[in-house]
Formats: sequence, structure tokens, C-alpha cells
Amino acid sequence: MADQAISPDLKFVNEVIKGGGETLKKCYQCATCSVVCNVTPDNKPFPRKEMMYAQWGLKDRLISNPDIWLCHQCSDCTAYCPRGAKPGEVLGAIRKLTIKEFSAPSFLAGMVGDPKFLIILFAIPVLIILAVLAHNGTLSEVPRGENGGIVYSKFFPIHYYEFGVDFVFPLAFAFAALSFAFGIKKYWTAMSRGVRLKGNVVGSFKEVLSDILSHSRFKKCNVTKARSTSHLLVFYAFIGLAITTSWAVFYLYVIGRPSPYPLYDPLKLVGNISALALLVGIMLVITNRLKNQEKAGAGSYYDWLFIFVIFSIMATGILSELFRLADIGALAYPTYFIHLVFIFFLFAYAPFSKMAHMVYRATAMVFAKEAGRE
Amino acid sequence: MMEKKFGVYICKGCGISDSVDIEKLSNVAVKDMKIENCKTHDILCSPSGVQLIKDDVKEGVNAVVIAACSPRVKYNEFDFPGTITERVNIREFVAWSQQPKTDETQSVANDYLTMGIIRIQKSDLPEPNILENLSSTILVIGGGITGMTAALEAARAGQKVVLVEKEPQLGGFVNKLYKKIPTAAFYREPLIVDTDIETLVKEVENHPDIKVYKSSKTVKTEGQPGLYDVTIASNGNSETVKIGAIVLATGWKPYDATKLEYLGYGKSKDVVTNIEFEEIAKKGKILRPSDGREAKKVAFIQCAGQRNPDHLPYCSSMCCATSLKQAKYVRQNPDALAMIFYIDIRTPGRLESYYMEAQNDPGVMLTKADVTGVSEAGNGNLIVEMKNSLLGEDVKVEADLVVLATGMVPTTREPQEYLDNLALEAAKGDDAKKAYLEGTPKPEFILNLAYRQGPELPSLEGAFGFADSNFICFQYETRRTGVYAAGCVRQPMNMAEAQEDAAGAAFKAIQCVDHVSRGVAVHPRAWDITFPDPMLIRCTACKRCTEECPFGAIEEDEKGIPFYKVNRCRRCGTCMGACPERIVAFKDYSVDIIGSMIKSVESEEDEFRIICLVCENDAYPALDTAGINRKQIDPAVRFVPLRCLGGMNLVWVADALSKGIDGVLLLGCKYGENYQCHFVKGSELANYRFSKVGETLNRLQLEAERVQMMQVSIAEYDKLPEMINEFVEKVKEIGPNPFKGF
Repeated sequence: MADQAISPDLKFVNEVIKGGGETLKKCYQCATCSVVCNVTPDNKPFPRKEMMYAQWGLKDRLISNPDIWLCHQCSDCTAYCPRGAKPGEVLGAIRKLTIKEFSAPSFLAGMVGDPKFLIILFAIPVLIILAVLAHNGTLSEVPRGENGGIVYSKFFPIHYYEFGVDFVFPLAFAFAALSFAFGIKKYWTAMSRGVRLKGNVVGSFKEVLSDILSHSRFKKCNVTKARSTSHLLVFYAFIGLAITTSWAVFYLYVIGRPSPYPLYDPLKLVGNISALALLVGIMLVITNRLKNQEKAGAGSYYDWLFIFVIFSIMATGILSELFRLADIGALAYPTYFIHLVFIFFLFAYAPFSKMAHMVYRATAMVFAKEAGRE
Repeated sequence: MMEKKFGVYICKGCGISDSVDIEKLSNVAVKDMKIENCKTHDILCSPSGVQLIKDDVKEGVNAVVIAACSPRVKYNEFDFPGTITERVNIREFVAWSQQPKTDETQSVANDYLTMGIIRIQKSDLPEPNILENLSSTILVIGGGITGMTAALEAARAGQKVVLVEKEPQLGGFVNKLYKKIPTAAFYREPLIVDTDIETLVKEVENHPDIKVYKSSKTVKTEGQPGLYDVTIASNGNSETVKIGAIVLATGWKPYDATKLEYLGYGKSKDVVTNIEFEEIAKKGKILRPSDGREAKKVAFIQCAGQRNPDHLPYCSSMCCATSLKQAKYVRQNPDALAMIFYIDIRTPGRLESYYMEAQNDPGVMLTKADVTGVSEAGNGNLIVEMKNSLLGEDVKVEADLVVLATGMVPTTREPQEYLDNLALEAAKGDDAKKAYLEGTPKPEFILNLAYRQGPELPSLEGAFGFADSNFICFQYETRRTGVYAAGCVRQPMNMAEAQEDAAGAAFKAIQCVDHVSRGVAVHPRAWDITFPDPMLIRCTACKRCTEECPFGAIEEDEKGIPFYKVNRCRRCGTCMGACPERIVAFKDYSVDIIGSMIKSVESEEDEFRIICLVCENDAYPALDTAGINRKQIDPAVRFVPLRCLGGMNLVWVADALSKGIDGVLLLGCKYGENYQCHFVKGSELANYRFSKVGETLNRLQLEAERVQMMQVSIAEYDKLPEMINEFVEKVKEIGPNPFKGF
């Protein structure tokens, strides 16, 4: 190998430290982490080298490196680190910086990662939804449904032509999808520099998909064994909710059947089960994290914000349904309002929040397969 | 010789009476040796037992034989001033290592008692040899952190001190430093603190008991501990002062960086040594020597010319912590980077937390790497090239200033090398010696000793020019009694360690002047008031003693007749072993005394007897420990302790064998490059003398295997009995000595 010129970047080191990798500098390169890691490839294993690159601020070597996504933050490394350098946490911080680097526009990622901007981030959906409500005239009084019950579509309209749910959320979704598309393209290009690929992206994608569906890599974790189970629950709950949403679109636009739907409706069954699964899953995530704090680290603001958003969506969603059924308008409408704000938050900021891990990790896993990095 | 009134006291405790018939043993004293005053006691070391002896001493007993435990224990109890006291070890050597109540065991005990009584019969009460006009002033050579600390420690302990510094001001290398590593118990911010050397300098200069000579050198050191005449030259004047003992604290010089051209030194002004970097930092901002711009990317190359057989083969131990400290100088500008390239970070002990604290700074970047070169980048900066780094195989990085962590060269190295080479050339003949003296510039000597064995400390093999030091047991002791090396001249170390070293050496120097004032050996036989007293009338001026004395204690007069500088002597008896005329004797230790003890061992037709000459410093304690562990020793063996195997005289072997003893075993300590021997090379000399034992054996027509020498370390107590027993078996296979009964 020819001489590689390296240029240390102190700014990047400080970014990693501020972004949840405050233990970074404790590493003294004993490589215990790489030895205990169950998910690293044997050849050039992580996270020892990533710790070194991060200490020297070698940004290019980190953000265009699929290895940081092959890491599932099992925290085996963190538990065994003799110096408390918490490589798991540091790699988490680097992943956050990767998302920031490739996401477009990247200033949003900066805002999502910084508690200073939390109010502004929430103010955006609050204002949008308030605007729709004002336009709909339901800010002060909400008309009841035909049978006198609470009907949320009367409070916040559904149809796109009413600037309702199907206007606001697809727009947010489209914004996120576009941003992801840009980001991933940049990311793939960065990773590909100087790397020979197999050229079988579809085949690699299939393999990765089966990995993800079974969480086979995640299950190799030792110290935080239970995490793969809770994550699996959250993952399938999301799939269930995605099915529910598509189903609702089908009801409304294809067969013209408006909500609310009775509880025995199969759509409602799938939706409610998924919602409960997600609530249980995210609560497991929280308890696991709290339980493993000592071994695995407390986690960053970035992580906890994401968990908080998911938990809040589920909590407000289920409460909205309960308040609606109990016919308590004074609680039902504000709760539903908050529910919508959180959903917008999750969708619109997905490319900048930890939600983005879904896309970047999958991409990196496909790339790793393509690059023969197993 | 004094008139002796004997008393033999036999202890029955610690299992002795279960192993030996005490009455039979008493009879050895009373009937065989005709000493009527023989008493026994259940526990002789108890107050009533000790009183029993004290009462006798009051009644006039002045030759006390105590048959009890090893002389290595209970020495406070069995201390009877004004008497000769002989300890006979029938506990560890008999009760604890022989089968109880057998005839053989009884015979072992009887023989030891007989030998003890013979020894005391032939010994005389020693009088301490106290020389006149002794000085207790401590001379400290070197006014750096070590020397100043040694001077203060000695002065605080009440000694007068003379401090000699060659520079015009005190402080040594610390004067060059911008800041120092804090020496507090735990390293926390700030990681760099003021050296505060001025306070120490002031304290030394203002101390009423410390006389400071600046811009001065010791040009001559004559005499011996307590009686040194040291000539100090300053600014053309010279003065001779009386000195008791010397602390050598002349420290180190930085390695010559011009030899490190591959690291860019001398080629670029922006490659500097760690010492030069201190001077840069002292001026304020870190400015590059080449263009005066502020350096913001500073590379530190560790082990620059160190741990490298082509330069310094050793680790200077302080450079890792120093570079971490200097990295913090760089980091006083928050935008600046310090990059440290190391082979290993070596921050032992509490410095580990210093390393952790310094490393925690995001702008202090570290990687293991083999730096292969430093070259110009073309833009005024430098490129550091490396292999095998943690950042990748072959990596290069740009820096605007490069600091080489060069190591320490002891100030003793140059004179040592000069003298060693001179000795080599001199051995080739006078012409070679003359050519060397004319062709080689003479380096500055430090001690300028007026000793037959040379003007400086003898060089220590494998020590790379560092001052002589018995680093295993007595780190401050050199082979020149009264000269104690401390600080970086002895071993690379940091400031905190140097200060500890200084205190240790100062107290050794104080011990030295105290002991010579009482006429006892300085160390390691710190209780010993005997001294070598040769019968010079029979001396043939063969010079063997003057050459072999490990401590240069023996000088020669114009006729080549030796005379002792007794305060330099450590009472090892190497001269006694060296002397072919056997004229060297101590009051309680001589060729005759040991020979008579050996000859007292009876060797009957039907039994085997092995004499084992035992080094008192390693093998003897190992045998005691073997006894404590109840390891069995063949009853054929009789141990005879020697102060040092270097005192071994072949006549003992000849006497023993011609008297019918079946074998002789010599137990010496280990020797070699890292000597651990208390007396430096006694064991080695014994081995050399032993190589001539063949003549004796030939003359007697005996098998060579009957005599053997072994090296034993103090820790080998578990193997030693087996080694001895194996030797006995081997001798038994050869068969009995045909001289038995003659």
C-alpha cells in the first residue's frame, strides 16, 4: 500500500465527543473491543480501528465506512473495555455524524441532534396543524359525528383537498423520501471510492433483507441480548402499522368507506395489535437501556429523542382511541393533536433523526455484502 | 590473645530436644572439649534463658557458645557486649532437617558444637578500628534536582554538606524546563505546573549547613570514607576539604541528536529535541525556529534514538511523560494539535493516571508507530513517515514542528568508556597505550579518585555507562565504599524518582560516616567490627589482593607492599582467599580458624562425610528456609559458613580430603552480568580458584567429582536440599575416600 497521507481534524474529534462519544479519548488501543465483538468481520475488525480514526479526527475514513453500520451497538465492547472508552457509544455518535453528513439539508440533522432546537422542531408541525385546523374552522368547536360520537376526521380532515391528513403527511413523507434518496446516493458514492464491488446489488439486497427480517446479526449480541427481541417487536409493529395505513387508504379511496371503523374490523384489529406491540416493544427498549446503562452506557440525546418520539406516538395514539371511545372530547382532541404532531415529527425528520438508521444501516449492509466484507 | 572464660549454652526448645540427646551433646562440650561450664535451657531466648547467660557474663564468662537457632534470628536477644559470641545452628541445620534421635543426627549436632567451640577457642575479641580525625561532612557532586535534594536531606538530618556544581547556578536541567509534571499524589488538571526550582535553590543556598561551590569541579579525591581529602577547583582557585562520604549526582546529558539525521535533525530547523522544545516553550507561544510562525501541528517522535541498538539501547523512562507534558504546552492554544508517535507509552506507576488525563485532551493525538523518517513537505512544513502505525501500514502526516524525544546519557559514560578502552589498549602493550593516550581526547572525569584501581567508578557490565550500582539489593551502593550514586547518573528516572533517590543516597552516606565513626563495617556487614589484619612480614607483594579486592580498599606502597584503607573495606575476606601466603586474618575469621573447624570433623571408615562451604549471604539463608520448611538434608553433610565464597582457600579442600572427608561442596551465589552478590564477584573468584583444584586432586589421586561448586540464589531453598543430597549420592557412588583413617 502506498503511503497514505492523513490529516487529523480536531473539529471532528470534538463533534464525536459532543455527539455522545465523550469517552472516545480514553481508548488506548488494546483491541479488546475487536476481540469480544461478535458481529465484526474477522478481517480488519471493528471497532478498534474506528476508535483510532475518531481520536485522530479522520472523518473520511469513518463516515464512508460501512463498518460503523455493521455495528449493532451490542455494547459487548463497552462492557469489556478496560478503560471505559465505550466504543459502542462512540460508534453511535459517529453514525449520527454520518447521518448528518449525508442528509440533505444537513442543517436539519444538526438541529435534530441538538436539544437547543427541540422547540423549533416541534413548533413546525404544531403551526402546520394549527393552520389546517384554523382553515377547517375546528379550532374552537368540533362537530360531532352522525351518531353523536367523536369523529377525528371532523376535527382534522382526512382528504388532501381539505388540506387534511392526506395532504400534510404525504408531503412530509415525500420530503423525507427525497432527502433519503439524496443522502443514500451521496453515501453510496462515498463508500464506493476505490472499492471493488461484486455488482449484484439485488442479490445482496435480498440477503440483507432476510438478515433484517430475522435480526440474525443483531441476535449475536451478548451483553445486551434482550435488545434484539425488543427491536424485533418494534420493527414488526412498524410493519403492522404500515399495513394498517395502506389498508386505510384502500378503504377510503378505493371502496370509499370513511373512518372511524368499528373495533372488530380487521383493519382495526391489525392496527390495534401493532400499536400495542409497538408500545410494549418501545417500553422494552427503554427498560433494556436503563438496565444496561452501567455496562453499555447511558445513550445519547439523539437516541433518547427518537425513543421518546416513538413512545409518544404510541401513547397518544392509544389514548386518542380510548378517549374517543369514552367520548371525552376535552381530552380526546388535544391528545389527537399531539399525536399528529409526533407523527409529523417522525416522518418529516426521519432522514435526520435516528430513524435514518433504518435506511443507512440497510444500505451499508448491502454495500458490505457487495464489497465482500462479511 | 585475651584470656577466655568459656560458657556453652544449649537450647532445648523449638524441637531441638526431640531431635538430639541433650546430655550427649553437653558431653561434647564438657568431656571432649573440656568446657565445664555447659548449661541447658528449655527456651534459651526467653528472658530467663538470656538472664542465665548474662549472669555468667557478669561472673566473667567472655566466650559464649550458643547452640540453638540460626544466627540469622534472635540476634537482639543473644547480644552480649564485651564477649565473643558464637552461634551454633542446631535448630535449622539439625532439628529441622534431620531424622529425630538417630545416631547420625546426634553426630551432626556434636560436630557443629565442636566446630563452634573450636572457632571460639581460636578467635579473639575484636576491637573496633576507629581512625582519627574523621570528617562527617557529606560531599554532593552535582547541583541539579537530585544533588540539591540530597544536600537538603543530609543537612536536615544534621550533617554538614558541601555541594559542588559545575555550572554558575544551581538547578541543573530543571532550569531549562518551562513547566513540570505535578508531583502531587493524583494527576488532575492542570497537567503542567511551575517547576518552582527557585524555591529549592534558595533553600539550599540559604541553609547554614550547606556550603555551595558553583562553577566548580572535584579535581582530586584522596583517602577513604571519613577521611577523604577532596580538592575542589573553582575559577582557577582550588581548595581541599575534608569529607566523610560522597553522593554522586552528576546526572545526564541529552543524547547527541546530530546522530539522528534520519529524523530530520540538523536538516530542518523545525526538528528539535525535547530539551530544545522546553526552551521554545519557555519563551511563550510555540514559535517555529525557521520562520517564527506559531506551530499548530506539532509531532512528537518518541524513543528518538532510544531502545535502538545503533543509538541508546535502553529506555530513558521519562520521555513518554515528558512528551505528554509538552503536548499540553502545545495545547495551551486550543486550536493547536499535538501528535505523539510512540513505540510503547511507558508511564509506570502513578504516571498512568497522568497519561490518562493527558490523553483525554482531544487535541493530544497518539498512535503507536515506527517512524521511518522526517522530510520536507515543500510548503515549509515537514512530513513524518511511519510504518506499522495504528492508523495503517504506511502512513505520513504533515507537521509544522517535530520534537524528538531524545534520551539520557549518564555523565559517567564518557569517562568510563575512555578508561575501559585505555585498559584494553594498555593490555596490548605500552606502545598501544601511549598511542591511545595521545590520540584520544581525555573526557572530563568526575570523581578523580586517587585509587590504585582507577580514578572513576568501575564500569558495570550491561549498564551502558550508568554509574555502578548494586541495583538488585543496594541500589545506591557503588563498589567504592563511601560513594553513593543517585538520580539519573545511576538509572534514567524522572524528577520525583530522582528526589526519592537523592534521599536514599543521602541516608546511605550518613550511615557510612556514622559507621566509620564507630569502627564498624559500613555495609552489608553493618554490625562487623572485625577487619583484615595481615601479617605483612610474610607478604611477597604479589598484588593479588590489591587487584582482587572488589572495593579497591587495598593500596600499595612504593615497594608494592599492600596496605588497607580500612574504611573502604567491607570485610568480605576476598583478600583472605586471594593471598597465596595465607597471611590475611580477621579476629574471628581466618584460614586457620576455618581449616581447624573442617579438620575437627571426624570421618570414620564406615561413614561418609561431606564438607559444604556455604556463602552466608545467599546459600545460608536458603538453607535456613529449607529447614523452616523441614526439608531433609543428608546427615553426611557438615555446613561451614563463609562470609563470602571469595574468601575460599584451596588449602581447606586439600586438608579436608587428605583427612578422609569424602567430598567438598562449595555453595556460592549467582554471578554474571547482573551481579547480585553482596561482594560483587566473590563467587566468581571462588569459581576461578576452584578451577585450580585439579592440581590438589591430582596430587591426592582423587576423583574430580568429589569437589563441586554450585551457584545458589537465596530464593532456591526448595531446590537446594535436593541439589546437596544429589551431590552426596554421587560421592557415595564413587565410594569412600581412601585416605580415611590415615
